[in-house]
Amino acid sequence: MNKNNSIFSTSPVVRSIGIVNWRGLWTLYLAEVKRFYKMRSQTLIAPVITTLLFLIIFLLALDGAEKKIGDLTFSVFLSPGLIMMSILQSSFANTSSSILVSKVQGNIVDTLMSPITPIELTVAYVAGGLTRGLLVGFLSTISICIFVNIHIQHYFIILFYAFGSSMMLSLLGLIGGIWAKKFDHIAAMTNFIIVPLSFLSGTFYSVELLPQTWQNLVWFNPFFYAIDGFRYGFINRMDGDLWVGMLIITILNVILFMLACRILTIGYKLKN
Amino acid sequence: MSEERKINCPIWQKHPQTRNYGLINVLGLFTFYIREIRRSFKIWGITLVAPAIRALLFVTVFSLIIEDSAKLVLGLPFLNFLIPGLIVVAILERAFESAAFSMVYDKSEGIFDDLAIVPLSPFELVVAYAGSSITAGISVGAVVWLVLLPFGGQIPALPFTLAYFVISGSLILGLFSQIVGLFAPKWDYLISIQVFVFLPFVFFSGVFFTIDQLPQVIQYFTWANPIFYIVDGVRYGITGVTDGEPLIGVFVTLICIFVLSAICHRLFRIGYRYRF
Repeated sequence: MNKNNSIFSTSPVVRSIGIVNWRGLWTLYLAEVKRFYKMRSQTLIAPVITTLLFLIIFLLALDGAEKKIGDLTFSVFLSPGLIMMSILQSSFANTSSSILVSKVQGNIVDTLMSPITPIELTVAYVAGGLTRGLLVGFLSTISICIFVNIHIQHYFIILFYAFGSSMMLSLLGLIGGIWAKKFDHIAAMTNFIIVPLSFLSGTFYSVELLPQTWQNLVWFNPFFYAIDGFRYGFINRMDGDLWVGMLIITILNVILFMLACRILTIGYKLKN
Repeated sequence: MSEERKINCPIWQKHPQTRNYGLINVLGLFTFYIREIRRSFKIWGITLVAPAIRALLFVTVFSLIIEDSAKLVLGLPFLNFLIPGLIVVAILERAFESAAFSMVYDKSEGIFDDLAIVPLSPFELVVAYAGSSITAGISVGAVVWLVLLPFGGQIPALPFTLAYFVISGSLILGLFSQIVGLFAPKWDYLISIQVFVFLPFVFFSGVFFTIDQLPQVIQYFTWANPIFYIVDGVRYGITGVTDGEPLIGVFVTLICIFVLSAICHRLFRIGYRYRF
């Protein structure tokens, strides 16, 4: 008799989700990926073009073909830094703009109301940022390979640094997006924090070239470790220490992850 | 007596009259211009401070990587060569963003169609938008120039040449920006044009290097690139040294201004993508 009952006559059943809401996590992640893939000329191809333009400019302006840093040509030194810069900026842009757009349009409520815990929310958003960051990094690497003869020395280290730094910036973007009220705030963060930090982090020069006071300041710049370690995977040489870099990136990721979860739990600037 | 009564009666009892604007609707033009200016100065952090910071970053990075500072470009130390280029990049970027961003913002808010009913002729619309672009360009140029002054910038050697090229440069990009703004239905298009058209044109225009450093094939493209003449003209105005020929530059910029303003006027006349 029960079989003939339609959905209207049965009493509602509590849905049990289990420890992790895999389906919700996957759905939110897919939404994030589709969001940036829809605007792929802006989110994937534009960073690659910018990276190539930077490479060409610096090589032409400095006669980079002949210029050497140690025993390396300048182009080989520069390329990993530029790839890392594109990864950092794309990851930050993805999570921050995603959160801010849904805040401005008001549909962040739907995400907050869905049966997803703050940790799952954080993971889904960060995974979206990671996907975009790593995709951009991959595309930049391939397109730079056409112009510059780069060799990958340590796959694992490159992967670790790409993953860790992209995650760090995705988390930063998530926190920044929650904090920001308007697009101006995000633009200000990008222009006054992210871009200066990535420009002054040893992308374009070896830290040894810096004056002493600047050299001391560089050690406080997390982007420096990201770019330095990433470059080690390509040129087998670095200014800092490999393990210190890994440790700092991991610690920063853990701190930022906890902070992001905390912010989403108490609903800072999201729930009132 | 009836005449007198008519004058003293409240406004809603009067018959509607045709308003007379004269040859140019000065009040409307000015109002529109002021709105555009206010819009760009309201977000001064993005429109004035951010370009200055970016230029400062470029100067820092280049001065760190150039080991032999004795290297001369066109008889100038590299930083003195670079700084006019950075100033002009800031000006052109701002001019390009001015009208197009304003128009696309209006489109996304759904108020852009109002242009079809404002009592402004196509000519006045072009002038108002172009005026705002020039103002924005000059102001950001002045800020960047001032910020870079302690780091190797210099007092303009030829102020009038500089003024001509700054104004014509921001005018050309402002007019181009109007065409882009009219064409673009959404932000995506705008950003695409900025990255795929504007940036390559600007970066290959001799901002960071002289054209004889380029491969032979690309040099021909550079000679056909109007932005090259603007960059070169501004550099000539500030340092007194030139890579190309300033007189050809004046000629090319005048042609560009003429052609672009004709296109803009035509597009506003037919109400391209906003009057249906």
